[in-house]
Amino acid sequence: MSVTNLLDDWAKFRHPHPVDDKPHDPYKWAMAIDLDACSGCNACSVACYAENNIPVVGKDKFLHGQSMHWMRIERYWDEDGRDFPDQGVQFLPMMCQQCEAAPCETVCPVAATNHTSDGLNSQIYNRCIGSRYCSANCPFKVRYFNWYDYPTTDDVWPAEMTQQLNPDVSVRGKGVMEKCTFCVQRLHEAKVVAKGEGRIVREGEVQTACQQVCPTNAISFGNLMDPDAKVHQQWQAQQVELDKDKQAKDENEGGSELRGYRILEELRPYPSVMYLERVRESAI
Amino acid sequence: MMDSGFDRRDFLKVLGWGGAAVALSGCGNTSVEDGKETVVSYSEPADYVIPSIGVYYNSTCAQCDAGCSINGRVREGRVLKLEGNPNSTVNRGKMCGLGQAGVQHHYNPDRVREPLLRTGNQGQTISWEDAYKLIAEKTQGVSGDQIAFLSGGVSGHLKVLLGNYLDSLSCKNHFVYEAIAPGVARAANKKSYGVAMPRFSINKAKVVLSFGADFLGSWVSPVHFSQQYAQFRKGVDGQRGVLVQVEPKMTLTGANADRWVAIRPGTEGVLALGIINALGTATGDIAAAVKAYDRDRVSEETGVPAGQIDKIAAMLKLHSPSLVLAGSAAEGYEHGSQNAAAINLLNHVLGNVGKTVEMTEDMPFPQMSPETGNTAALTSLNNGLAASKYKVLFNFAANPVFTASGAMNFKENMAKADFKVAFAHYLDETALQADLVLPLDSPLEDWGTQVPEYLATCAQINIQQPLMEKLHANTRGMGDILLSMLKQRQPDDYNGYEDYYGYLRSAVLSVKDALGGASVDDETFWNRTLSGGIIKFEGSVNKLSANASAAGLKLPSHSEAGGDYPLRLIPGVTASMRDGRHANQPWLQESPDPLTTIVWDSWVEIHPKKAAELSIAEGDIVEVTSKTGSIKAQAYLFPGIHPEAISVPLGRGHEAMGRYAKGYGVNPFQILDAVFDKETGELAMHETRVKISKTGQRVIVVKDEGAAGGQQMGKKIAVRVSSDDVDLSEEV
Repeated sequence: MSVTNLLDDWAKFRHPHPVDDKPHDPYKWAMAIDLDACSGCNACSVACYAENNIPVVGKDKFLHGQSMHWMRIERYWDEDGRDFPDQGVQFLPMMCQQCEAAPCETVCPVAATNHTSDGLNSQIYNRCIGSRYCSANCPFKVRYFNWYDYPTTDDVWPAEMTQQLNPDVSVRGKGVMEKCTFCVQRLHEAKVVAKGEGRIVREGEVQTACQQVCPTNAISFGNLMDPDAKVHQQWQAQQVELDKDKQAKDENEGGSELRGYRILEELRPYPSVMYLERVRESAI
Repeated sequence: MMDSGFDRRDFLKVLGWGGAAVALSGCGNTSVEDGKETVVSYSEPADYVIPSIGVYYNSTCAQCDAGCSINGRVREGRVLKLEGNPNSTVNRGKMCGLGQAGVQHHYNPDRVREPLLRTGNQGQTISWEDAYKLIAEKTQGVSGDQIAFLSGGVSGHLKVLLGNYLDSLSCKNHFVYEAIAPGVARAANKKSYGVAMPRFSINKAKVVLSFGADFLGSWVSPVHFSQQYAQFRKGVDGQRGVLVQVEPKMTLTGANADRWVAIRPGTEGVLALGIINALGTATGDIAAAVKAYDRDRVSEETGVPAGQIDKIAAMLKLHSPSLVLAGSAAEGYEHGSQNAAAINLLNHVLGNVGKTVEMTEDMPFPQMSPETGNTAALTSLNNGLAASKYKVLFNFAANPVFTASGAMNFKENMAKADFKVAFAHYLDETALQADLVLPLDSPLEDWGTQVPEYLATCAQINIQQPLMEKLHANTRGMGDILLSMLKQRQPDDYNGYEDYYGYLRSAVLSVKDALGGASVDDETFWNRTLSGGIIKFEGSVNKLSANASAAGLKLPSHSEAGGDYPLRLIPGVTASMRDGRHANQPWLQESPDPLTTIVWDSWVEIHPKKAAELSIAEGDIVEVTSKTGSIKAQAYLFPGIHPEAISVPLGRGHEAMGRYAKGYGVNPFQILDAVFDKETGELAMHETRVKISKTGQRVIVVKDEGAAGGQQMGKKIAVRVSSDDVDLSEEV
């Protein structure tokens, strides 16, 4: 890398969203996750391993925080000091929130992570130099670094298991950062098919792996710009707006019937994932 | 019957499998290198194979017996991923993590690949012909009484062939053994409702009161129930369903409850009777039976606050229909049957029978109905082995050396049989004790039919078909093996079938009309069956018994633990590990336990208060000792457990099986005491009492709890809202 490169103002290559001159048209991929339906069963996480060629790192590396689960289930106990968690546990499926103003993008020295026109936070593996700044700057801690060359690591993909690898997804080598892509390979295929037919992707034509497997249908995914999309309707019903950092719900603390919220909204990353609060019966 | 000119390879070609050899040659593990096949360029692909385009085939998941239909993605002749088949009424297009890992069962590097014959401590490769000859030799000259066949749950045509093979040997000793199964509840249901497995409609209930039934995790048909649960949460008539889970150790289902009630282990039946009493609606002998169970006594015995009992009763009274479930936490005691009966009685009293506990349909083909079992079968086999009653022992789809209670000495008893045959996928603990190990095809490369025990709607037969060509040349399907062994004994009856596929095809086509294929020709019907993956048909409808009676209900009063073994051991059943048969699938090892977030290891769950009392901290290696044995594992402070109990998850602690299973964790089956349910003779899994002591060693627990130790640190991350504050019927 030359000095000129280093001194260059990379910010000018960044597409900050949401902006007027770069509207999300025709696609803005987004998600809604209903925490009242989510049972924390981990099926989504395993499906993600299967779809996206995620290496199983083993016990020692997991201990060192080197697990690669793009989709993880966070578990929270109540913090009210009672003897038993008698209102159950809080589960939260956490993956890349595909932020509109992603904190990871601004710090990448080589613009390996940036925003696509359909609203994804993309990661370009062969541009990544492994500075890990993006991971440090990610408030959700959903970026995973390849500390090892997993394809050549013993017992990660023994000969037979390489046959399971999804040919649509590249297997990442040592020294690159990776994360949830909203199953971009599936989106790409659907877009190509739709384009061939002179239309855009319709609701229901494409599913992410986690959404497809979810036994309780807690995850909905689709094009936020499409009024027919369930995810569009959910965002609208919950009055969550992509380009705002204060939603209708926040303005009506306590009295609102809305359940939709985005995590760490106050940091203004404008995430593309809306969660619906878990409901618990008060009369029991 | 059989199309004599039939050729399996031709058939594979017709359905698109023919390209598999071509594609596989590209990745260098087929016979191409031996020069036995010709490499064909992709520019001339076989019919139905378009390079880079994935095609989907329906089959049936074999990771557990729930019978979810799967839709496998196949590209260039390799199966890549399994999705759910949307047309299945069991799983409606959905899957669980265990099912997803089915591909790792198939591609597992530690599969047995050749038939192995024991010579001393070594396994020596032999040919299938010699193996069959050996079996014929060893079964010659012994009477049918001296032969025993141990298997997991079986159904469909495999069960038919197995039954016919055992008949040909005049052997009546088929032991169906499932280490983790609702054996006691099945028997109690049979008495209370008239059927072992009625249909439970969670989605029609407004309140579900579950006594330790982990229906979201590992109970009966979890993917099916998970979908019902989602509907239940959305609400019936706009009213969101309320889940109350009563159990001494929090399961995944308990973690999702509106109210999780920590109950003193073993007193579930007492609470059920206490609720009947509090409802005050029972009459006749039921009222008399529950009279003594007033709230103060019940509260005292169960440890559940009296106010909570009142709230539950009030909730059940207010919202009808409800549903009460008896799960493994209630049935694992000497009085397990009584617990389950008391819980089922609650359903009768609440009027749920016929509303949310519904009738099922009988399989019109009883020969194919699932043969289920639990641990009583293993006990009786073990007694026979101990008495040297059996000379020949077959083992299929079970790993008793790993899953038998340590008190049974199964391994030693098994050695008393002269000739032991294991049909095995891995060289697991049981296969290592066998004299002859026969390698099986994976479920993704084998034919079969399966009938689920729990029928979601109508009766159905699930089709299992290969999603790709065999990975290893010398493995065989269990159906093919049985057929070969039958050919030895009854050549006239079975020589007409070239292989199990041929047998299956003619078996299905012979009743084509009954299966709804009267209007089409054989070929069309068969192809339609394979592409659909499920044969559904109307079965005859069972009548549920309305027999609500408290006759014979006797619950022991709570006995204080104490003495040398003050704590209860609760063997934890997790959704991904279950009884440990899939422990060698790395996705499952690295998939965090939902509640503790621990990976790749076992742990001892202990309540923080109890831990403080014993000065145990997270990561302390503790020794858990029962009368039968002891294990050492890391402690994990877990608020979701009764302070009088500790829990260790089942499934890990393998001494064999493969690289991802061996040496990870400990096996609590080994320290289970031989205590049995008094009525059914099933192992009382929760009756083992233990003591716990620190060893002085400590490790860092490998878990996924996050840097903040699973705390939200005042941020709104995972948010909960009271049901008063939302109106779900207004939502999308």
